Amino acid sequence: MKKTLLTQALCASVLIGAIAAPVHAGEAELMQKIEKLAAELDAIKAELAANRKKTESVAQKQEVLAISVASNTASSAAANSVANSPMQSSPQTVISSYGEISYTRPRNASNETQADVGRAVLGIAHRFDEKNKVVAEFEWEHAVTSKDDNGEAAVEQLYVEHELDHGLRAKGGLFLMPVGMLNTSHEPTAFFGVHRNFVETAIIPTTWREVGFALSGAHDNGISWDAGVTTGFDLSKWDAASGDGAESPLGSIHQEGQLAKSHDLAVHAAVNWRGVPGLLLGGAVFSGKAGQASTDFSGNAARVTLWDLHARYTPGDFDLSALYSRASISNTEALNLTFAGQPSPVPSSFYGWYLQGAYKLWSNKNYSLTPFVRYEQFNTAARYSAMPQGLGVPVAPAEKVQTFGANFRLGEGVVLKADLQKFKQNSANDRFNLGVGYSF
Amino acid sequence: MKPLNPIVLSALGAGLCAFAPSAFATQYLTVEQAQQVIFPEASSFKLATLQLTLAQMQQVATLAGLPARSVAWRVIAAYQGEQLLGHIVLDEVIGKFELISYAVGLQADATVRQIEILNYRESHGFEIKNANWRKQFSGKNASAGLNIGQGIANISGATLSCTHVTDGVRRIAAIAQVALRK
Repeated sequence: MKKTLLTQALCASVLIGAIAAPVHAGEAELMQKIEKLAAELDAIKAELAANRKKTESVAQKQEVLAISVASNTASSAAANSVANSPMQSSPQTVISSYGEISYTRPRNASNETQADVGRAVLGIAHRFDEKNKVVAEFEWEHAVTSKDDNGEAAVEQLYVEHELDHGLRAKGGLFLMPVGMLNTSHEPTAFFGVHRNFVETAIIPTTWREVGFALSGAHDNGISWDAGVTTGFDLSKWDAASGDGAESPLGSIHQEGQLAKSHDLAVHAAVNWRGVPGLLLGGAVFSGKAGQASTDFSGNAARVTLWDLHARYTPGDFDLSALYSRASISNTEALNLTFAGQPSPVPSSFYGWYLQGAYKLWSNKNYSLTPFVRYEQFNTAARYSAMPQGLGVPVAPAEKVQTFGANFRLGEGVVLKADLQKFKQNSANDRFNLGVGYSF
Repeated sequence: MKPLNPIVLSALGAGLCAFAPSAFATQYLTVEQAQQVIFPEASSFKLATLQLTLAQMQQVATLAGLPARSVAWRVIAAYQGEQLLGHIVLDEVIGKFELISYAVGLQADATVRQIEILNYRESHGFEIKNANWRKQFSGKNASAGLNIGQGIANISGATLSCTHVTDGVRRIAAIAQVALRK
């Protein structure tokens, strides 16, 4: 704009100069004057352009300086943080989600083929300050929940966590039990196979959570541990007439924070060691009485104890894991007498183990293909307490399942899965599964 | 003293003040402590902001296989007397849900010397602090060995944290190779 004004002023002066020239001045003299003024005008124009360039360059430098100063000011303000650029500051509230959708076709009963939105989970974690946060996860199973549908809506986790010291944390609320490998890391992107493995479903009732308090610690030598006091199981829920207990003994009597009977509390402890890169060795134990002082109930002396040992080794593109878990329910004699004649009394012992190997066969920047094979053996009723002659139920044989399949990863958060499962005892269960899952 | 040519030395005083010892309960190391741990033989440290050019950012993306993410990076040059020992680049990545602050020490030739976790806020995955896991990065550069499964072993149960830190270190090693290597 300045340039335009100046140009106009100069043009005006040229005109005035021309008009003011003596009438008797020769044409040549006039032309000379005009040319001189024109030359001066060009020189001024050039100077203006040069000045303009300089101004722009200074403005740019000032802008860079302003950004730098702003970022340093921000870092001074957050004097306790090293959060200054490139990532700015930590988000206070994080929304997360995972979900899995599957298609399952039994080999010998195609009429039972099913597609299911197995899980849709929404999570919110909010950090109040550097020491306190809350974690909440809400889950829908099987798509629709209503009086006439089979779906389920549940609070999967709801706890507050407080940091006491470096790596030492206390939490209270509804949280996942640190038993096995799948229970605390159960997103579809974290495990192989369309469906979760049987051992950590039938024996360890993933996703298993209890209400209570717990402490967690982690040390520089690679050892981390958990210990806590929580609600336990409610044996009075056992339904000897149904097959639920045979499918997952603890899954059929868990309470999940739903008006949980809390007369009998349980304790748990877990230790994991990750001292060698790629290797995890760990174990956990949980024990608590399960009668909950229920009225007119003959199982009030019963105690549920569950333990597991697990290992995972991930050298290079291999992913190898093994887990063994065993559980017992003590003092079930009197209770099982009341179940005489029914198909599913309370087992006194049940166990399972698996071996799994996976290998990342192919990958590029955005995709990876990892075939895997898993062999598992489990028995949800390996033993019953002694019953009078003729009233007992024979012990079931252990089921052995082979799973062959592959996970195909799309980036970090999406996985496509396919597998084939063969059952040794009950081959009618043989099935082919397809699935898609995500997690963020 | 040899100037850091591609580095815009700006607001040094204010910057250093910003890294005063922290009162964070979750902070394992302050930047000063990390400096001493990574370059114990250094006699002086100089903080600067490294500004990448567009061409450098493209080179970083090619080398690391990841976007360069930012133009400006906080770099501390470590000197023993007049001699440049190397650099420390400060960065943060999201673990699973929360930020992990870490420092990458680099030799003058842009190989990784050492990494230190400054701040970890997640409920799980503290194991990335483990010295044996961090040792895997030493001596490697952006060209090879800085990927999960290829040079860096995964941590079971902390896959996202260790993947994101490993990606971050690879990006910083590429930045060092492109803009800091002597």
